[in-house]
Amino acid sequence: MAEHSVLAVTLLSLGLVAGCSDGAAGAAHDTAPSLIVSTTPAGFPKGTNADRAPSDNALTEARALLGKRLFYDPVLSRTSDVSCSTCHQQQFAFADPRAVSTGVDGRMGTRNAPSIVNGAWGKTFFWDGRAHTLEAQAGQPIENPVEMDLALSDAVARVAADPSYVASFQQAYGEAPSEISLQKALASFVRSLVSGMSPYDRHLRGDDSDFGPERQRGEALFQSEKAECFHCHPSGELSNEGYFNNGTYTAGGDTGRQQVSGRVGDIGKFKVPGLRNIEVSAPYMHDGSLATLDDVIDQYSAGGRGDPTTDPLIKPFTLSSDERADLLAFLRSFTDPALLEDPRFAP
Amino acid sequence: MKLGFLTVFWAVAVVLTASPGCSSDTDSGAGTGGGAAGVSGESNLRGGGVGTDGGAASSSGASDLGGEGGADTGIVGVRDRACVEHPTPLRTQGTLVSLPLQPVMAGKPFVFGEENALADGGSVVPLNFRFYISEVELLRGSDEEPIDVDVVTEAGTPEPYGIHLFNAEDADSGTLRVLAPPGQYSGLSFALGIKLSCNQQKPENLGDPLTNISQMTWPHARGFLYLRYEGRNTAADSGGASGASGASSADEIPAAVHMGGNVATERVPHVTVLGPLSIPASGSLERGMSVVMDEIFKGATSNIDVSDFAIGALSAPESVAGERLRRELPQLHVFVLEH
Repeated sequence: MAEHSVLAVTLLSLGLVAGCSDGAAGAAHDTAPSLIVSTTPAGFPKGTNADRAPSDNALTEARALLGKRLFYDPVLSRTSDVSCSTCHQQQFAFADPRAVSTGVDGRMGTRNAPSIVNGAWGKTFFWDGRAHTLEAQAGQPIENPVEMDLALSDAVARVAADPSYVASFQQAYGEAPSEISLQKALASFVRSLVSGMSPYDRHLRGDDSDFGPERQRGEALFQSEKAECFHCHPSGELSNEGYFNNGTYTAGGDTGRQQVSGRVGDIGKFKVPGLRNIEVSAPYMHDGSLATLDDVIDQYSAGGRGDPTTDPLIKPFTLSSDERADLLAFLRSFTDPALLEDPRFAP
Repeated sequence: MKLGFLTVFWAVAVVLTASPGCSSDTDSGAGTGGGAAGVSGESNLRGGGVGTDGGAASSSGASDLGGEGGADTGIVGVRDRACVEHPTPLRTQGTLVSLPLQPVMAGKPFVFGEENALADGGSVVPLNFRFYISEVELLRGSDEEPIDVDVVTEAGTPEPYGIHLFNAEDADSGTLRVLAPPGQYSGLSFALGIKLSCNQQKPENLGDPLTNISQMTWPHARGFLYLRYEGRNTAADSGGASGASGASSADEIPAAVHMGGNVATERVPHVTVLGPLSIPASGSLERGMSVVMDEIFKGATSNIDVSDFAIGALSAPESVAGERLRRELPQLHVFVLEH
């Protein structure tokens, strides 16, 4: 695909990633595409995904490849039939099409698995923000009883029993598998998942060839005080990385951020998701309770579900059918087909 | 809720001046090639403000110590008018002055994310409260120029862009710090916002605290917010807390206040906080500074005419409240130095 050619590759040499911040450039590998494209989606903060890696887990090809293998390997679940990719599926922008995820033994979670794309720029992770790094995030689903239900120590023992894994860990981290290196490897793969070639990205770079009047009107509406989307989804990143009660919470429901902070004011707050590829990452909201983008617009235009904890900036508004169509067209401009089909991110 | 946080305050006269034309420092920049403030700051520093005897500030006293003070404080630069992420320090030496910022309402701590009781039995839960502070100056006698000081980190290095972002959700942001020459001062002043050269930049081209993560960005051509507040109010008759001694009722408190500017003109208000400030020559100084929410709400709900501002997208209630606050600031005592 054309997008693939634009999302070209940056060959890693000795674990170093060239700083290419325009999101479209890279050097050609002489054999196979690198898993890692050192890039920044349009409008994101300064620094590539590689720049965003912590100093003790520099983003390298070996680490990302190891993480990719682990990501798709059900051996990390107690029953050996659930992997990270069970709930984070590439064709859905690494989100889960089910309202809530199903873990080992058919156990149901309570939240929708969100897209993990562009996590390199994340400030916190999970809907409630309880993890502050990708590395800290990576091990939690493995140990969660309703997800993969396997102690990290057991996960390490399993991969350590596989000589090919041992070799990969040695290559990536210079050591035998450990809980820390396992989490670092998973974080490296997630950090490699960059979506930056949607029509919206190209629009922000000045290319409106796929960003016509309907999308432009939708963008204006998105940025207006009428729809108020911009308060939480600012231009570029489309997330301010904050926590807000957007009106989905109702009494007795998942209290979200409050479970982390303990503050009464955080009841019903959840992390603002980025909206890249929102068209394909249904269902929506922390509980996956909204099936379509139309449903999302309906809820916001109603001012939420009426709980008094709803953020004061969530207020009812009315859209004409044309305005709704414009807004939907704009939301669909966030879709990056290259990401959804990129074989480098596939098993 | 912890009581008695506000002990005794200096009977300070807090003068807040809303620009344009509010600050000689800010507004003189263009006409002097950007160096006026810093040059005058250096001159002022050498002229005084440095003392080791703990005496009251005075013109003569300051002047007596001026030469020594200038050398001691290692002044090396002038305030940069451009939006520079890593500004050159104004001075290499000085005393670290820490000013913990404590939001208060009705004389009590205004606790973020928790129910704050109101006098009528209602309550308010602050959900988001943050603001920028930059361009800090120390004030001396009425006939003396203020002294520019760096806004610094706990380690004493300049904060990026010379800007401090207070975020009530982040305890680490709760203290404003400056590196200052020792001496006796009559207070301080600062911009409650950011300078125009930064306001004109896109957040994606900037680093923290001027990225989208700051939650201080606006769309359109408005640049950044200077102050952002959102809260949830519960009226007395709907189950709010009771028995409190707060001064307000829920209907006197806006649900949201968004104060900001635009990229075309300088609109950042400058705040002057008066009160004796004795900065020692050695060690450090910590001096609390209250952020009086009553005053913020009072300004935001004033009836001042902002019809020339509240047009189109800017007619949203939170924007109107913010502009009212900005224009009312000269009459308000939002910041108070703790005794």
